[in-house]
Amino acid sequence: MIIEALYPEVCNLYGDLSNIRYLARSCGAEIVNTSLKETPRFVTEDPALVYMGTTTERGQELVRDAFAPHLEALRRRTENGGVTLITGNALEIFGEYIQDDGGNRIPMLGLFPTHAVRRMMNRYNSLYLGEFEGMKIVGFKSQFGHSWGDVGQGLFNTLRGPGLNPDVKPEGIRINNLMATYVIGPLTVLNPPFAKYLLGLMGVEEPVLAFEDAALDAYNTRVTEFSDPKRGLTY
Amino acid sequence: MAKNAIRPRGAGAVRFYAALWAAKLSRPLLKITRHNGTNFPGELALKLCPDFLRYMARPEKIITVTGTDGKTSVNNLICDMLEGAGYSVLSNRLGSNINSGVATSLLAGCTVFNRCRYTVGVLEVDERSSKRVYPSITPDYTVITNLFRDSIMRNGHPEYIAGFLTDSIPPETKLILNGDDLISVSVAPGNPRAYFGLTRLDTDVTECVNRINDLRICPRCAGKLEYEYLRYHHIGRAHCGDCGFESPAYDYAGTDVDYDHMTMTVRDAGGEGHYRLLSDSVFNVYNQLTAIAVMRELGMEHGQIERLTQGLKIAESRYRSDIAGDVEVVMQLSKDRNALACSRVFDYVSTRPGKKELLLMMNNLNDEKNWSENVCWLYDCDFEFLNNDSVTQIVVTGPRAKDYYLRLRLAGVPEERIACVRDELEAAELLKLESGSHVYILYGTDSTCMKIASQVRERVIARATEVSK
Repeated sequence: MIIEALYPEVCNLYGDLSNIRYLARSCGAEIVNTSLKETPRFVTEDPALVYMGTTTERGQELVRDAFAPHLEALRRRTENGGVTLITGNALEIFGEYIQDDGGNRIPMLGLFPTHAVRRMMNRYNSLYLGEFEGMKIVGFKSQFGHSWGDVGQGLFNTLRGPGLNPDVKPEGIRINNLMATYVIGPLTVLNPPFAKYLLGLMGVEEPVLAFEDAALDAYNTRVTEFSDPKRGLTY
Repeated sequence: MAKNAIRPRGAGAVRFYAALWAAKLSRPLLKITRHNGTNFPGELALKLCPDFLRYMARPEKIITVTGTDGKTSVNNLICDMLEGAGYSVLSNRLGSNINSGVATSLLAGCTVFNRCRYTVGVLEVDERSSKRVYPSITPDYTVITNLFRDSIMRNGHPEYIAGFLTDSIPPETKLILNGDDLISVSVAPGNPRAYFGLTRLDTDVTECVNRINDLRICPRCAGKLEYEYLRYHHIGRAHCGDCGFESPAYDYAGTDVDYDHMTMTVRDAGGEGHYRLLSDSVFNVYNQLTAIAVMRELGMEHGQIERLTQGLKIAESRYRSDIAGDVEVVMQLSKDRNALACSRVFDYVSTRPGKKELLLMMNNLNDEKNWSENVCWLYDCDFEFLNNDSVTQIVVTGPRAKDYYLRLRLAGVPEERIACVRDELEAAELLKLESGSHVYILYGTDSTCMKIASQVRERVIARATEVSK
């Protein structure tokens, strides 16, 4: 079983790569790294999971340029039910454009019907509590931009914290098994039920997570904390 | 020579002098009322006169020190060397490094008629405050120690901070840069500059072993960077096989670093000097080299700098060692929410001689009062260094203890070596304190954590003393 990490030389901020390290450790999958100057493995093969994590602003443009020739392949993969996970501001790369501080529109890949507005002097930090397929999702947001656009139900239903932007409840984007979220960092480590759900989609039967008891213990504590209405959400 | 302050005129002058005198008056009042407001006079002055820094008298020569890690140590070394050489030095070493802290220091150094009493200013400036400081103050030199990943919430990523500095530093300021850090090298490319760096060390590698490496691709063409040698993270000498881009040549090269004899040679176009090392950590070797480069830029001879270095010490406020009974108890600051700083500490501690018992309490307890600490940094941090047979026990504690436990398990640390407990003082009871062990208490920077760490230290020392009887 293969997990493909797209452009880890630039998409590696905030511990995001631990998302796939944890999944790989839990199911014995091999992680294959695809660099900016290589053709992604998913174009010709069917990795169990394709992953892209948070990057810098320059990284967003480098990734856009590197990925553009393979966008149709991703569409096909998504239509066929392939599992893809995108976290942090990598989500913005697949929107229509990013508007920068000067009002300039930087064209992006246009897979999602969204656009992002970036404010480099106004970093946004928040806790996040949401729901997904009957399970609670906990995590952190730390970003320069938010996105707008009709994403239907999104990926997660927000219980506390910002959705795709602070004014909406739907968080992230889902098209079949392509999932994108602004939640950064070790989402799968912090959310064992979600990690198991992903492993299930990847074809792992009766998945068992690495150090599952310890992960669940930390998760249950965090769910309780984040559900407390007295606990502040933004930093 | 630093650009002079602008002379305030008309209503601006009235406003400026009102701010100056009010802020001056606040200093004795703070003392009388026993308020420790290191920033308050500057805050007040900036509130009353937002252009205060533009008008404030300043030393003839100004050096600013910025960067992710080491800026306080470097700032202190430069101050100590210059004072040793007989300069009257104005600095913010006892105050804060944001714009109000700089204003407070300038206030302290001037008369009521706005005349500066010092010839040289050495000011530590927080990277994110540069936008508020440099429009008003043009340094002769700006030192950038390094640019690394720092707080996720505040600093985002180092490329962002480099952009911040490029947009802020005046074009006439000469930069003194770490040539082993290509992110620092990218700052303000049009400015005059000098580079310092350390030639290859025995411990260098060519492939990064750290989780964080923020420069894996060529800044010019995005090709893969190849490292001739790599010290840690992205610190080393690199070149791009695709376009020929490479690390700059050193103007000040630290070489022949010898930890056995605690010596280093610094070579430059004007000759070479032989220096006593102030510390055996490579981070501090960089700090010392940086300060030497600054002295050389100011025109001092190596011989004079060697003499100035003789009596110096790297401030040990972040490291304290006590012997209690049969164990050594070490308090080691390990900057919370900062994956890179903690990775450096883990690397350092794990390679110290002897058996080590660790108590990890770097939770940010101030964060915990209002929300919940963002723990993403744990997964950028090299906990793998602690998976080492010489680390015989790790006690994790504080509100994020369970997160630390899971991270350590994922780093490969055997279950039997880890103890996990929420209460910090209870954690102090769980240390084994085996005879001959070195006990490291790793604590964070927030005030609440520091207070509790101090109690934990006392408890550990008391227990160790008791055990040895």
